[in-house]
Amino acid sequence: MEEGVEPVAGNRPRQSSTASEDTPLPVPAPRSVRCEARGVKKAFGDNPILRGVDLDIPEGSFAVLVGPSGCGKSTLLRLVAGLETADEGTIHLAGRDVTELPPRDRDVAMVFQSYALYPHLTVRDNLAFGLKLRGTAESEISTRIKEASAMLGLDKLLDRLPKQLSGGQRQRVAMGRAIVRRPTIFLFDEPLSNLDAALRAEVRVEIRRLHDRLDATTLYVTHDQVEAMTLADTLWVLNGGRVEQKGAPLDVYERPASRFVATFLGSPQMNLLEGKLEREDGRFFAAGGGIRAIVDEDRFGDALEEGRAVSIGVRPHDLVLAKGEAPVVAELKVELIEALGFEAYAHGWLKSSGPTLIARLEADDARSVKAGVTVPLTAAPTSVHLFDPESGRSLAAS
Amino acid sequence: MQRALKLLLLVLAVVLLPACAEPTPPSVIVWHHYRGKEQEALEKVARAFEAETGATVALLALPYDGYGAKLEAAIPRGNGPDVFLSPHERLGTYLANKLVTPAGGAFPDEDLARYEAASVDAITDGGTRWAVPLATKCVALYLATKYVQTPPETLEELLTAGRAAGKGVVPLAYEAHSAYFHAPFLHAYGGKLFDGKGFAMVGPEAERAAARVAELSRAHDIPEEPSGDLVKQMFTSGGAAAAISGPWLAADLPPEVRYTVVPLPRIDGAGRMRPYLTVDGAFLTPQGASKERARALVRYLGSDASAKVRAAEGKQVVANRAVWGEIDDPVLSAFHEAGTLAVPMPASVAMRATWVPAEQALRKILRGDATPAAALAEAKARYDDVMRPPPPPPSPVPVVLLMGVLLLAGAIFAVRRVREPSFRRELAASVPAYKYVAHAVVTVFVLVVLPLLAGTATSFFAGTRDEPRYVGLTHYIEILTARGQPLLSHGSFYLTLLVTVGWTLVNVVAHVGIGLVLGTILSRPLMRMRAVYRVLLVVPWAVPSYVTALAWKGMFHRQFGAVNAILAAVGVEPVSWFSQFSTAFTANVATNVWLGFPFMMVVVLGALTSIPKDVLEAAEVDGATRFQAFRLVTLPLLKPTLLPAVVLGSVWTFNMFNVVFLVSGGEPDGTTDILVSEAYRWAFARNAQYGYAAAYAVIIFGLLALASRVTSGVGKERGGAK
Repeated sequence: MEEGVEPVAGNRPRQSSTASEDTPLPVPAPRSVRCEARGVKKAFGDNPILRGVDLDIPEGSFAVLVGPSGCGKSTLLRLVAGLETADEGTIHLAGRDVTELPPRDRDVAMVFQSYALYPHLTVRDNLAFGLKLRGTAESEISTRIKEASAMLGLDKLLDRLPKQLSGGQRQRVAMGRAIVRRPTIFLFDEPLSNLDAALRAEVRVEIRRLHDRLDATTLYVTHDQVEAMTLADTLWVLNGGRVEQKGAPLDVYERPASRFVATFLGSPQMNLLEGKLEREDGRFFAAGGGIRAIVDEDRFGDALEEGRAVSIGVRPHDLVLAKGEAPVVAELKVELIEALGFEAYAHGWLKSSGPTLIARLEADDARSVKAGVTVPLTAAPTSVHLFDPESGRSLAAS
Repeated sequence: MQRALKLLLLVLAVVLLPACAEPTPPSVIVWHHYRGKEQEALEKVARAFEAETGATVALLALPYDGYGAKLEAAIPRGNGPDVFLSPHERLGTYLANKLVTPAGGAFPDEDLARYEAASVDAITDGGTRWAVPLATKCVALYLATKYVQTPPETLEELLTAGRAAGKGVVPLAYEAHSAYFHAPFLHAYGGKLFDGKGFAMVGPEAERAAARVAELSRAHDIPEEPSGDLVKQMFTSGGAAAAISGPWLAADLPPEVRYTVVPLPRIDGAGRMRPYLTVDGAFLTPQGASKERARALVRYLGSDASAKVRAAEGKQVVANRAVWGEIDDPVLSAFHEAGTLAVPMPASVAMRATWVPAEQALRKILRGDATPAAALAEAKARYDDVMRPPPPPPSPVPVVLLMGVLLLAGAIFAVRRVREPSFRRELAASVPAYKYVAHAVVTVFVLVVLPLLAGTATSFFAGTRDEPRYVGLTHYIEILTARGQPLLSHGSFYLTLLVTVGWTLVNVVAHVGIGLVLGTILSRPLMRMRAVYRVLLVVPWAVPSYVTALAWKGMFHRQFGAVNAILAAVGVEPVSWFSQFSTAFTANVATNVWLGFPFMMVVVLGALTSIPKDVLEAAEVDGATRFQAFRLVTLPLLKPTLLPAVVLGSVWTFNMFNVVFLVSGGEPDGTTDILVSEAYRWAFARNAQYGYAAAYAVIIFGLLALASRVTSGVGKERGGAK
């Protein structure tokens, strides 16, 4: 799954459905291009933001840059847009070196976090702005505005000023402004962070639909892991100005390459305990902090070595009540229960002085388990992640 | 206990403080405008008088500018001095305003023989002596010893000697465009500035005098555009072989300058150059006339004893005959001799209105814009126009009727409003709010509304302050009909309005343009030393505008200005900036642009910070060049902030009196005057026609009110449509 272009089931409504009912003819697909960055470095003053990033997004792919604040994801996006210039390294669009070109010569479109609509122009003029600058014919402009506004449900808003629109409407205008341009690549800079939760979920789906319909190369920056997981063809996890891991979202989720990626993706966060490897009856166990779990030897292979210190990671989702034959890996003294309805999370300790831990309960079990009781937990060997305590890298053979 | 103590201290303070501040009132209060040695000598004389009589004399030195206005304001209200010193030529004004009383006992007949006859003539009006003559002032000829050793008999001899002094030396420096300095030429040819009734600088004598001066100018025997400062500077630096100036020049010359002073020479084919004589007199005010000590002081000031001190220490050319035998100061003696040949300046009020038209005519002649005959005839016409007697009072019936109708309409409106049912409720609800705005309402009423009403009322009257005559709308009619001349004739309201509008447009466009460019450059975050540039660029705004205006005026001087020096360095012929409308207007505009752009720059800087950065980035990504982003995004977003600033700037520029008055001063020939400076001239340079000036002011106010309404209306409309 190197390039991570394989679609992930469930997130991909392939069939074209649009925001508005009277669907016009499909918009001719823009020329989507490959976007590459090689060894890109960027510092603001003495503060290095990007420390050498390689990026490769194939034609038509939806790439999501995700990472905590300050990891350099927005800077990378702005470098691709041409709003910043790289200190070192090159950026190629469609094989053309655009590193030194201004934004207008890159044929990119960007949706800003604040939407950045032109406050003095109507929605129609906002949409037409870029086309007029490029000398597009009037008739062509109106055709494209018609298409885009139908696609985004903006028909009735065309003569309004941005200040007369709601947040969601503004967001759609910002996307429309990008769409009418038919750029070679779409850039999104945290476009959903100013929307409320319900709207965010709705627009998220809409963005993915648009992408599937337009089939344009897309680079999307977010710090929200749900957006990252649901939207991406390829996920690029950035940390401290470097690419920590890339891959299809589920791959990255299931096989985090480092402790950072493991804890950054997934909610609630992965449980992490310090321990060491033990060997018993020819099998390797990871033990420490009150846990003792069988390790997937196929996955870790040569890295397994008796007595080796490891960080043990188990996602709360994979740590469940031990029933029947299932081997008990830990005993949790429950402190409180978070009931979400379809399931519940039990917070508690493994040992009186140990770190807190989170485990998943089935909705039914959540009724019987009360705070104060101690429950046995189990986890499948494949769900146990091992990291080097020093470097934080996964011990899995890559 | 403590409160009682505080109260006691307070009472003591109230009782004692005034007593400390004012021990005993002085017996005589004297106002004067003397400085330096003259002031010291006057103080010495006053101390001697105190020692002799036991009286106390309070001397108050006032600046010469506005001296007359202060006297006019203070004396009728009883806050003025008992005695004041003044040049005699204001006597007409003093008499008209009843500021002086006959000298009477201060100048008995027995003292007559004490003074030079010309001095006594000067302070006598209608057979009455109104002051005691103290000193005379007139101009004489300063000769630089290194160029001219023997006093010339004639002007031509002087010029010959001066031309021999070599390149870079002007034979004769004097303020040729000033009617005061032109008077000796005029008198030499038998002409007159004033004939007791009106402007008299016309006819063949005056024309010949003017032609002679024009000839001197053409031959470069006199400097171009000379001001008093320039004459002083040229004579001091050896740039002039001779100068015509008064005793004040001697006081300013550094000791290393070698010179002699002689009376003005004759002109070949004409008579002697006789300057105007002014006589400083000690005047008694009505308040002072009733005080014996004030009368005694005035007489004492004129005494020979006082004159000796004033001559020896104050370097005054005293009016006492007896003193001159004992003085061995050649400069002083030369001025005294010049004074005996001089013509006493007429003291009539009507005389004062001659200076401006005469000066305008002289400037025109010196520039070669008009023949002496034409320029002088025009000056005469201007004088007569200004001095035209006020029109007969019109019937007040139309105005009374109009007022009646307005009052009636107001009353009907008020009654209808009160009868509306909602009115009482609203009134009751808003009464508490009035308490909070009351102070502002009162302040605005006193500072804005009252002066406006007073100004408007003034515009319906003509005549002097003491004898106002109701003239109704006559002033407005005269202004709006261009005083019966063609509508765009010289100095007409419409021509001035045209100049003013052009002036405003050019300036505001330049202000906004430069402000935009600099504001945009300064707002770029990557620029180094931004704060330093910002401060430097705001400096023109921080310097008082008159200082800047005077500095620019100096830079635009034809011969010595920096602008011409720069032009000369790149090989351009020097420009006589104030001799043509276009260049004078340009000089004004340059000065005002320098003064005005920082305001717009600051406004733009502020407005730019409110434009979100990502909107501009969006434009960049959309394909805009930097200029397109500026034109299509930044500029429209700046507009809401810029519009009020532009309205404000337009009003300021429309009324930018300082620059026009100080830089071009209306030159050439009043063509660069704008409405406010024109209004000023009617009030202060054309026989004090305050009513006429007030009518101008009311019209200016109306125009600006209308213009700003229209502008803000346009702004709103555009804002709403988008």
